[in-house]
Amino acid sequence: MTRRRSVQLALMLAPAVALIGLLFLYPLFGILKLSLFNPAFTLESFDKLRSSPVAALVMQRTFLLALTVAVLCFVLGYPIAYFLATMRPRWRAFFLYLILLPFWISVLIRTYTWMVLLGREGLVNGALHGLGITDGPVQMLFTGFAVHLAMVQILMPIMILTCFAAMVEIDPQLVKAARTLGASPWKAFATVFFPMSLGGAAAGAIICFILGLGFYVTPALLGGRRNIMLANLIDFEVHQTLNWSFASVLALVLLAATLVLLGLFRLVAPERRLHG
Amino acid sequence: MTSLSVRAVVSAAFVGAAAMAAAAQAQVTITVNGSGGGLAQTITRIYEEPFTRATGIKVRATAPVSLPKLKAMVESGNVEWDMTELGGSDVIEATRHGWLQPVDWSFVDPDGKLPAIARLPNAMVTATFSTVLAYRTDKFPAGKGPASWADFWNVQAFPGPRALQSSPVGNLEFALLADGVAPDKLYPLDVERAFRKLDQIKPHVTVWWTTGAQHVQLLIDGEVVMTSVWNGRITPLRREGKPVAISYQGGALQLSYWGIPKGAKHPKEAMTYMRTRLDPEKGKQFVSEVPYPGFIPGLIELLDPAVARDLPTHPDNVAMQYRFDPQWWAERRAPLTERWNAWLLQ
Repeated sequence: MTRRRSVQLALMLAPAVALIGLLFLYPLFGILKLSLFNPAFTLESFDKLRSSPVAALVMQRTFLLALTVAVLCFVLGYPIAYFLATMRPRWRAFFLYLILLPFWISVLIRTYTWMVLLGREGLVNGALHGLGITDGPVQMLFTGFAVHLAMVQILMPIMILTCFAAMVEIDPQLVKAARTLGASPWKAFATVFFPMSLGGAAAGAIICFILGLGFYVTPALLGGRRNIMLANLIDFEVHQTLNWSFASVLALVLLAATLVLLGLFRLVAPERRLHG
Repeated sequence: MTSLSVRAVVSAAFVGAAAMAAAAQAQVTITVNGSGGGLAQTITRIYEEPFTRATGIKVRATAPVSLPKLKAMVESGNVEWDMTELGGSDVIEATRHGWLQPVDWSFVDPDGKLPAIARLPNAMVTATFSTVLAYRTDKFPAGKGPASWADFWNVQAFPGPRALQSSPVGNLEFALLADGVAPDKLYPLDVERAFRKLDQIKPHVTVWWTTGAQHVQLLIDGEVVMTSVWNGRITPLRREGKPVAISYQGGALQLSYWGIPKGAKHPKEAMTYMRTRLDPEKGKQFVSEVPYPGFIPGLIELLDPAVARDLPTHPDNVAMQYRFDPQWWAERRAPLTERWNAWLLQ
């Protein structure tokens, strides 16, 4: 790379760096300060993180929920991505469009849609009752079930698209070669296709997990009293108890978890993809 | 705003001082923060628009009422609001932290028409409202709906999912009332007893609401058969013919206030706007649509008895309710809210 080229590159990057510095790093520094000074230096809020049973429970539930959702997205999304990748191109465009369509609709609207569907006097309960399957309304809204369902639905397109991108890069001739050499279809998939697609699938699952950790609106609207996630607890500390110092500590926990996962993501994501 | 003022100064250099004064006055906009929703539209029509016509001061309404926002504005020195609505314990907390500036009572109410209860050093009572029990009339036999917090707790006689606010404030009182404590013997609250009583109802409460719009939606959608509500949100529903009713029995009679944040840009104009709330004619118009009366002198005499009967401050309704104690809560809200959250998660 010539010197002139690197100057050009630096100039082109400068606005983005300035934007991130001003709108992300500077406020982040403020959060860090808020967590450590009140107004004198204190570790009170970090102590509270260790001693607060609520924080421990919420963190545990947040990670468990994000993990469950990521695994469900993987289990349900992988086969869909597989069929898309092996489908005739004309049909593929149509199905990709069907997957992208809900993806473009705001999370808030998709969450409200679930409220309409799952309510006691909603569509699903109406159908179940009408078909004589249930005697009275089943409580689906404001339960963990509703939160899982909506989160999987919201995050699944990301899983499918990430998997799909990795799968279309796999040379189909390799699977054919395995078949010619006598492998059964299942064996060819399990020993050739699956290991090669795993990087993309794991990357998709990690993205779902990271996004799942930060969910706020969906558990707040669809969940019951137990479905409080870290983001909801931060909101609670900001708005209800006015303990901004502790809210900052919780935000840092969420950020740290995300950074660790991003590190993991770099490890599993296919090398080529990262460097173009 | 700043650029507009600059322009005003520049034009004044050409046109003269008189023009500048007129331009500056026409351009003042005060930001008044309230609780939003359908209520805000009524306030715009009855108070804000006539005020702008009379004084040339524009009013920009924002929402929702938020103590943390007030804290952030005052502490950062970037105060957006010229005036904000506040709850009873909010005023106490904001006063303790010095987030409000004094009201110039010699300007707002020079003749001392407001009763003492409505005149705080740095806040004015604008409304009285109640947190009461509301229920779906179509889910119970006619005239046999839940009428008290004891009924709310009685899931055998009054079956169906319930909702309560996700806050200890008010709910501890309701639990104690349901447990048989006399309304005038509530404070200081027996917190342990209240939580024990709340344990009983917890499995039957499917939703813990956080906003006024939410509890309205829960009732209309049939998600719950009864919930605690803010009385004024139910009146419009009844007018629309929705099958909902409230019971004032054991309700929490509360006050809401207007305060001017420290560092507000237009305190004088805000106080000018404050004075509009002293007009009994406007008050009559407002209360007949939204049953949130304040302590406007001469208002009760102007009201239709049917409207007066629905107000939280009607003597019959006052007799059924308890007087909410913001002082008790201001000192304990943070720790009890933490405990509440832990209790909810269990």
